Amino acid sequence: MTDLVWKSMVELARLIASKEVSPVEVVEAHLSRIAALDGTLKSYITVMGDSALQAAKAAEAAVTAGDGLGPLHGVPIGLKDVYCTKGVKTTGGSKILADWAPTEDATVVSRLTAAGAIVLGKLNMHEFAYGPEGLNPHYGTPWNPWDKATHRICGGSSSGSGAAVAAGIAPGALGSDTGGSIRIPASLCGITGIKPTYGRVSRAGVLPLAWSLDHVGPMCRTAADCALMLGAMAGYDPRDPTTSVLPVPDYLAALTGQVKGLRIGVLRAFYLESTDPAVRALVESAVKTLEGLGASAQEVNLELPKHAAAASYAVISPEAYAYHEGWIKTRPRDYGSDVRQRLLVGAFVSGADYLKGQRVRAVMRDEVDRALARLDVLVCATTPMPAPAVGQKEVRIGAENQPVRPNLIRFTRPFNMTGHPAASVPCGFTAEGLPAGLQIIGRPFDEATVLRVADAYQRATDWHTRRPPVAS
Amino acid sequence: MEHLTIDALRTMARAQGLELSDEDLAAVLPLVQVGRGLMESLAAVPLDDVEPSSQFRIF
Repeated sequence: MTDLVWKSMVELARLIASKEVSPVEVVEAHLSRIAALDGTLKSYITVMGDSALQAAKAAEAAVTAGDGLGPLHGVPIGLKDVYCTKGVKTTGGSKILADWAPTEDATVVSRLTAAGAIVLGKLNMHEFAYGPEGLNPHYGTPWNPWDKATHRICGGSSSGSGAAVAAGIAPGALGSDTGGSIRIPASLCGITGIKPTYGRVSRAGVLPLAWSLDHVGPMCRTAADCALMLGAMAGYDPRDPTTSVLPVPDYLAALTGQVKGLRIGVLRAFYLESTDPAVRALVESAVKTLEGLGASAQEVNLELPKHAAAASYAVISPEAYAYHEGWIKTRPRDYGSDVRQRLLVGAFVSGADYLKGQRVRAVMRDEVDRALARLDVLVCATTPMPAPAVGQKEVRIGAENQPVRPNLIRFTRPFNMTGHPAASVPCGFTAEGLPAGLQIIGRPFDEATVLRVADAYQRATDWHTRRPPVAS
Repeated sequence: MEHLTIDALRTMARAQGLELSDEDLAAVLPLVQVGRGLMESLAAVPLDDVEPSSQFRIF
């Protein structure tokens, strides 16, 4: 039973379809593990044990009857608690929505369950997704499974998704990413996650943080599992007018293991030059691994990401404030203080500043597009440092002490501004045993190449197979 | 840029229907000041003829 929780989603789907394993066994194994570990990890806000078991029994009956099976038939998943679930509490990690049960599912939830996935529960997160640490004063802050002794952050905002997947209490999960909220916890928790191109996956039924920056994506232990989930989620949705009608490729079929001839741009200035030396060495080693597989690497410098913090301030603050204005005026004390104060900042950003931020996004996107016209992917560290402790305000990067919060988001935020697809894969561990992530950025709507590079790297390395001490 | 004070921030907040506590004003003021400083840095970005862009929308 224990081994089942460490199987990949691809393998679970195969074992279930071939009747070697029952979906009931798989769901029971995960529910048992949640009961054993989640008192410490605090990765779930709501465990949907009864409905998950009911769905597993139905899935088992379908297998026995020889019915047509979806690509995720019987495979359990967790949902960050920003995804609307019909009749099931959707809190946004907040007290504001503590008892709110939506009347319909988010589009991606409908698509994943139509593909056969079974929802284990709703996952913890930074309140309303507004924070890169993954803290939560209402439901407890998830514990990073890679350090048994010290309560370290999982990264956010999808902190519960990161902890659950890393600890083997969900084989895959949905995260959401407005400034790095899929990739940061993927990096700090040693798992794989992808933020697809803006418009690739529907945001309908997903609680917004900032409409023009929010992205929906999977968090799993392998790139192949991300490909499996993304394929079931992606595509045009009439409920979300920003989704694209471009056809959805077969992401799993794109995972050839081949990167020979692929041109990789290594982001140096602003990125590797301001990365913790231990993390930087792991990223540079990952680039060498890809070169060993036949890819070519060259350094590339982007000038405009240094303005991402300013442009992001101008865009995310007023968008977030606009969504929360009613509650922040009537129920301010129901927010945690950090999120309340950050939301209030948006009340003081002018319309002109907002549009200046949107104009800067256009030139940032052009610069990344120009780089990707001569390169297939760009790479850098996902975060400049490994997971700090909960409450830690500063971190040592090279010779300097740096504030934790802006540095967590520093390398991921530019690609929310530009909308390019970007993944994080584990690329090694520091001397303290903490994971680091390699960020892989691709051309718009070319998630297939991003995932192909991630998968080829994982075929050549075993970082993604390591198990954290809390979960051993 | 003119120095922003807690009183000025309180007035701006009230103008849009926000009654903020002294604690929140004190906490928000440095965040707004940092943001205003960041916005000044954007003067270095050439934006002539650049239209605002917020999304990919390919039909």
